[in-house]
Amino acid sequence: MSETDTLALLREFLKKHSDQDSALVTLESPLSSVNIDSLMLLELIFEFEEKFGISVPNDFPTPDTVGELVGAVDALRARNTGAAN
Amino acid sequence: MMDRYSQLGTASALAAWRDAGLPVDAAGDQRDGGVSWGTSLGGTQTFEDGYRNIYLQRPPGRISPLGVIMGMNNACASHIAMQLGLAGPCHTFSVACSSSTVAIGEGFRRVRSGECSVVVAGGSDATLSYGVLRAWQAMRVLADGNEETAAHACRPFHRQRQGLVLGEGGGAFILEDWDRAVARGARIYAELASFGATCDHSHLVRPNLDGQVRAMRIALADADLAPAQIGYVNAHGTATREGDPIEIAAIREVFGDHAEALPVSATKSMHGHMLGATGVIESIATILSLYHQAIPPTAHLDDIDPACAGVRHVVGGPLRDVPLEAALCNSFAFGGSNAVLAFRRQRQP
Repeated sequence: MSETDTLALLREFLKKHSDQDSALVTLESPLSSVNIDSLMLLELIFEFEEKFGISVPNDFPTPDTVGELVGAVDALRARNTGAAN
Repeated sequence: MMDRYSQLGTASALAAWRDAGLPVDAAGDQRDGGVSWGTSLGGTQTFEDGYRNIYLQRPPGRISPLGVIMGMNNACASHIAMQLGLAGPCHTFSVACSSSTVAIGEGFRRVRSGECSVVVAGGSDATLSYGVLRAWQAMRVLADGNEETAAHACRPFHRQRQGLVLGEGGGAFILEDWDRAVARGARIYAELASFGATCDHSHLVRPNLDGQVRAMRIALADADLAPAQIGYVNAHGTATREGDPIEIAAIREVFGDHAEALPVSATKSMHGHMLGATGVIESIATILSLYHQAIPPTAHLDDIDPACAGVRHVVGGPLRDVPLEAALCNSFAFGGSNAVLAFRRQRQP
């Protein structure tokens, strides 16, 4: 359960769904610069929900960078773990 | 033997035909009478029933031998042609949320060209199947609602808007050659003056200002209407975060100085989003505005988003006794297909 898992899943997703070189993706990358538009983001959130067993709420603020997205998803994952304990 | 979308559509077509004072004659053979219909999802409920039977039942259930003809997207148009004895072109347009607007526009062109003397034009959709609802929900564009808030869940242009509310419905116009309609003393609600159609060609769901502006300008030019002659715009206004401000920006670009005084409303706040049926229902609201000289409001709009300001939003209740000569009805579909109809107040002799 580390930040790396989340970033790794994001990289894997990009490898599968776009021509983006996932090695170039950093936490500072704007989502728009790594080919994640609003539709891709929906699909990616769906993937996070599936893989991490989290539920991303409808009022989830739209992130601007990879780091913001990863941070928000990690926060949801941490909350989930807390609830399980 | 009809899917619900065909029932809704055929019922609306028969109602419109009778309202136009035309005789229902299934045995007729009107060679220059056509059907121009719109649907986004067609017989989706028929397909869902079939999937349920074969995938969920153990042992697998049977598929109705009528599944194909109930589910196909052109079933409704053909039912209408059969019920009314219309032997001319019978076509179906599937253009997501613009479907019935496009169907009306294409039917209009057949009447204007002289190919048809009458066309039944409109659309229908029965969207409330479980799979369809879940897909829209997954896209995160549906408004939330509980028992208390459901009635005002759809709030186009509102600061707190959350998205759309899916609905089901059907609606129909009888588009008739002007001279023929006048000669038989028909009640004429309005003149359909033009149809503007464009594609954003940029993104499947993110609307594009230029595509919308071009569609409105084509409609105005084709109808020979100046922006200042338009007294009402029935907006596409779905109440999504992204869509509403772009439409208002497009209206401001087209109407310039006139925009501030131009009444605009989104009737989806009251009837919901019926996908392929929504354009015709909104067109009906538009022609009845011309007919009654009264403009419907955007319901529940008590806090206008500053990003949607710059037009005269009709709020609270209808505007009555307005001298309304011409109006536009906008439909902007997923896929970037924009369709705009212009209507003029009827000038019956």
